[in-house]
Amino acid sequence: MMRWSRVHTLIAGATLVVLTNAVALIGVAYNRSGDPDGALAFTQRELQMSYKWWRARENSGIGLRLVWRVYDEEVGDESDTARWYGVGGAPAWLTKAKLDELGFDVSQPEDSDRGVRHYERQLPKEVLVVLELDGPAYAEARERAKRHADREEALRTANPDKKEFEQRSKEARERLEREGQQYSRLFVVDAGLDVGGLRAKYPDRAHYAIARGQVRLLLPGSRRSSKLKGYVSELSIDEINVTLEFRNAFEHALPDATTGMRSPVRFDATVAFGRRLEPWITAAARGGSD
Amino acid sequence: MSPSSRGEAQQRTDAIRAFQAELERLEREGVLALGEDQRRAVAQHHARLLAEYARAFDIDRDVQAKQLSLGMRIASFLGALALAASVFFLFYQFWGLFSTTAQVAILLLAALGTLAATVWVQGRDATGYFTKLAAMVAFACFVLNIVMLGQIFNITPSDKALLPWAVFALVLAYACDLRLLLAAGILCLVAFVSARTGTWSGMYWLHFGERPENFFPAAVALFFVPLVIRHDRFAGFGAMYRVFALLTLFLPMLVLANWGEASYVDLDPHVIKGSYQVLGFALSAAAVWLGVRRQWPEVVNTGVTFFVIFLYTKFFDWWWETMPKYLFFFVLGLTAILFLVVLRRLRGVGQKQPRGFA
Repeated sequence: MMRWSRVHTLIAGATLVVLTNAVALIGVAYNRSGDPDGALAFTQRELQMSYKWWRARENSGIGLRLVWRVYDEEVGDESDTARWYGVGGAPAWLTKAKLDELGFDVSQPEDSDRGVRHYERQLPKEVLVVLELDGPAYAEARERAKRHADREEALRTANPDKKEFEQRSKEARERLEREGQQYSRLFVVDAGLDVGGLRAKYPDRAHYAIARGQVRLLLPGSRRSSKLKGYVSELSIDEINVTLEFRNAFEHALPDATTGMRSPVRFDATVAFGRRLEPWITAAARGGSD
Repeated sequence: MSPSSRGEAQQRTDAIRAFQAELERLEREGVLALGEDQRRAVAQHHARLLAEYARAFDIDRDVQAKQLSLGMRIASFLGALALAASVFFLFYQFWGLFSTTAQVAILLLAALGTLAATVWVQGRDATGYFTKLAAMVAFACFVLNIVMLGQIFNITPSDKALLPWAVFALVLAYACDLRLLLAAGILCLVAFVSARTGTWSGMYWLHFGERPENFFPAAVALFFVPLVIRHDRFAGFGAMYRVFALLTLFLPMLVLANWGEASYVDLDPHVIKGSYQVLGFALSAAAVWLGVRRQWPEVVNTGVTFFVIFLYTKFFDWWWETMPKYLFFFVLGLTAILFLVVLRRLRGVGQKQPRGFA
């Protein structure tokens, strides 16, 4: 029998290392070949330095978190849900039929103990989600903030002596301003399992991108009055690496090193989503200050 | 037959030392007296073997050397972990300042360079301690290599990365006779097989730990590895597979015995909990029996440990709230004594000692 020597170890190990790197890099080249599946023009509103990166002082790299939202019709106008970005949401379009289409078993009635257990047991699935930039969902969110600000302003006018309404009106105006200038315009607006089908439905590649994300089931409310909903919980790739080439555009926009406060410096960055739906920055430029 | 590994050489050295001590005792007690020629022949043979082993494998020739070796093993283990961590932090400290091409080249060269260094050190390190350090750093570099490629190019996270890591660790483990790398390889394999099992049910792979039953196929496969592939040349490898197989079986079972909701089986969680409690007792008892029968001490010890954990968890459930604490701990003490009696009997059966001797 052939005796295993140190040369064999070196050859076997090196082959494995080179092959693994080759497979990964060929995948990257394939993803970035041809025209991208989508290319969205983001600003500092949609790309933010994540807390994880800000805390890691010994990490010289820069990673930007994709800030996305979900428009939840059931939330009242007064809710400023954009403050808690990236934690997901349960949009109305994620219906029982859509969940069935995504591969969840929705055959049980929600209002029985067995049904509740059936749904609680189902774990998240990775699906394709459609990201919409500055589209109807964002317009709805702005409209909601405006409605709320108008209502609070009307209350303040009707109650001129009450400080409480003055404060509420001020907060509503500030929220409307944040919605217009600060909050992310990127919304998850649909989900599916077929890239072609979704792209046919959302052909505008400058405003719609398809990415991988996770959806899970949600049974809000008490057991007997539960209505099954879907919850978009996260994107599979929610951080985008900044290469040395574009470092200058973002370096000045990093949060304050001691306080973690957001920088007022603006930037523009185009993010492409390739054939494997993996994103990368294709252009970036530093803008002015707030 | 000359030993092919340090473990085998050390075993033979220990046997020679035990033989010399026993021979001396027998001669002192007048039971045996070797002729001068025989004594000299045996002594010369042993001296030659020990010198040869010391040269080829740097074995511990006496008790003192063995104690120092233990210290060196601990130091090399901690050093290996620390150096691996150092490699991670070193790269993180500076990687943002390099171009993408330079980052990829550094990662690839680091993985290949540390692999070559491991092979070079192995050729000059009879003890194996420095080889262990180098191999662990090489493994860390390869893990870092793939993790960072994912980060640099925003690649979708995948369980498939666990497979080349497992193979790399196993190549180093078998080539350099390193149990630490074997453990790393086994852990990667367990994670890979369990994640694959999870995805077959439709879940996102990162959630595979939420269904403990995903670990069972990996446990079964690990247990059969040393039965199918002989590990005579690799001291302790077979035992490592068996211990990890039992841990991969019993830890998820322990979780399910206390959290029935996590099971794939769509039954009342109380029924699932009860079933896994019974199964836990039965299989840990079976492991003890099998370990005694096949003379696998690590299987016996792991089986006993989990039997006790399953039992004490049950005692806690039943009596912690209702019993006075002194009585609760008294019952625990009594069960420990019962265990000692049972194990003593098992040991007696295993050794087939004459009645009244032990």
